[in-house]
Amino acid sequence: MASRYDRAITVFSPDGHLFQVEYAQEAVKKGSTAVGIRGTNIVVLGVEKKSVAKLQDERTVRKICALDDHVCMAFAGLTADARVVINRARVECQSHKLTVEDPVTVEYITRFIATLKQKYTQSNGRRPFGISALIVGFDDDGIPRLYQTDPSGTYHAWKANAIGRSAKTVREFLEKNYTEEAIANDNEAIKLAIRALLEVVQSGGKNIELAIIRRNQPLKMFSAKEIELQVTEIEREKEDAEKKKSKKTV
Amino acid sequence: MAATFFGEVVKAPCRAGTEDEEEEDERKKETPEDREVRRQLARKREVQLLRRQTDTSLEVSLLEKYSCSKFIIAIGGNAVAFLSSFVMNSGVWEEVGCAKLWNEWCRTTDSAHLSPSEAFCVFYHQKCNPSVFLCQCSCYVAEDQQYQWLEKVFGSCPRKNMQITILTCRHVTDYKTSECTGSLPSPFLKALKTQNFRGRVCCSLLEQPNIVHDLPAAVLSYCQVWKIPAVLYLCYTDVMKLDLITVEAFKPILSSRSLKGLVKNIPQSTEILKKLMTANEIQSNIYT
Repeated sequence: MASRYDRAITVFSPDGHLFQVEYAQEAVKKGSTAVGIRGTNIVVLGVEKKSVAKLQDERTVRKICALDDHVCMAFAGLTADARVVINRARVECQSHKLTVEDPVTVEYITRFIATLKQKYTQSNGRRPFGISALIVGFDDDGIPRLYQTDPSGTYHAWKANAIGRSAKTVREFLEKNYTEEAIANDNEAIKLAIRALLEVVQSGGKNIELAIIRRNQPLKMFSAKEIELQVTEIEREKEDAEKKKSKKTV
Repeated sequence: MAATFFGEVVKAPCRAGTEDEEEEDERKKETPEDREVRRQLARKREVQLLRRQTDTSLEVSLLEKYSCSKFIIAIGGNAVAFLSSFVMNSGVWEEVGCAKLWNEWCRTTDSAHLSPSEAFCVFYHQKCNPSVFLCQCSCYVAEDQQYQWLEKVFGSCPRKNMQITILTCRHVTDYKTSECTGSLPSPFLKALKTQNFRGRVCCSLLEQPNIVHDLPAAVLSYCQVWKIPAVLYLCYTDVMKLDLITVEAFKPILSSRSLKGLVKNIPQSTEILKKLMTANEIQSNIYT
C-alpha cells in the first residue's frame, strides 16, 4: 500500500501516514550518534566522530555547530540538509539580535528551525529535511535548555536525548543513568555524556567529540586529550566498581 | 481501465483472458535472431560451480562430491563478516569451490583475495573435519538462478542426514508489525525452521505475515521439500552496509549446536571483526 502514497510529500495515506516524512526519519538513522545532556549549570553535546578519509581536512567534517554565542546544535542525517538549516538558523539569530536588540532564546531558534522543517513537509516539489537536531544553550534567565527537532517539524524539550544511529540504545542508557546525582556537578554531566556514547561508539574516546556551554560562558570544544582524560577516568571508575562488586560477592 | 481517487488511470487486470492470446501470437513471431539472443542470455545467466585454483567446473554437485554433516550458509555482507571473524578464524578452512554467476545486479569476482565489498560466493570445508561446510555468499542470486544454484550445490537428490544453518540480513522496514519501526530494538534476530529441524533455536521465531526473500527463502524451501533439517536466522537491521552492531547481533547463534564446536576464541574474533570494519569503511560524506 505504501508505494501508492509515498511518492509525493503532500499526500496522506488512507491510514494517516506521510511516508516521505517517515522515510526522512530513516535518513536520520544513517547519521552517527549525537547525545545531549542538560545539567544544572551546564549543557553538554557529545557526538560520535565519523572516520575521516586520509586526505580529507578533519576541520570540515563537523557535527557540532554554534548558532550564536550562547546556542549550539548537533545534528544527525544528511550533511547537506544540515548545512542549509544551520545557515538559515545563524542568519535568523543575527536578524533577531538586530531587530529586537536581544539574543534569541533557545526555544525561539528551535521553533524557527522546526517551522522551517514543517514547511518542507507541506510544499509540493520539495522533500523534508533529512536531519534531526539537538539544540542546547542558556537563555538570559540563566536556565539551561535542551531541545530536539525531527524531520516532521516537531520539537520538544528534553533533560537528555540522543539522535542518529543507535539512538535507542543510548536513550535507554540515559533513562537508567540520568539522575540528580549524575548531573549534580558539571564534570559528572560531562562524564554521563561520554559514558552514553561509549555504549555505542567503536574504538572508544578517539571517536568522540564533545562541546559544553556553561552559564555566561561561550561554547567550549573539548580537545582530544581532554576527552581521553575523561575516558581514562571513566574506565578507572568502572574497574573500581567491578572490584567492589566482586569483593561483595566473595 | 479504472480511475482512482486521485484521478490516475490504472490498468485493471482483465479476467477475460484475451491478454494471453496476444502474448502467444507475439511468441510465434519470434525470429531466429531473437531465439539466439535468448539462448545466449540463458548461457550468460548460468550458474557455474568451479574450483578457483584450476578454473575447472565441478563434475557433480558439491554435496554429491563431498559428504556433509553440517552446512552453514552466510548470505549478505554482514552475515559473511560474522562467519569470517567468528568461525573461519577459529580453525583451518579449505576452499572447495566457488559459484560464478552473472545477473543485472552483480557479477561475481574472480580474484584470489576477496574483500567484503566485492561480490563472491565461495564454499569451504574444515580441514580437521571435512564434513563441515561453510558458504560465504555476498552476491545477489537472481530468481531464475536460485534453482540452478541449489542444484549445483545440493544436487538433484540431496542427503537428509545433514543440518543446514542459514544466516542473512534484511532491512527493518521490511518487518511487518503493529509497532512503529522506530520503536523496534534493531538489530534483532528472528528464526525460521523446517519441519524436520528438531534443535533449539537461539531467538524467537519469525511471526506471520513476515516472509523470507531471495536465496535464503529458496534454500529453506528446498530443505523443507527434501525434509532436510534447516534453520534460518534472519537479522533485521537499519544498516544494510557492513556494520559492527549488525554483525554482533548474530552472536546468540554462537551457542547453537551447529556453531558451538566451531568457535574458539570469541574476544580475538571481536578484535578481528573491528579490524575488518575499519579496513572496509567506505568513506561517504552524504550522512554525518
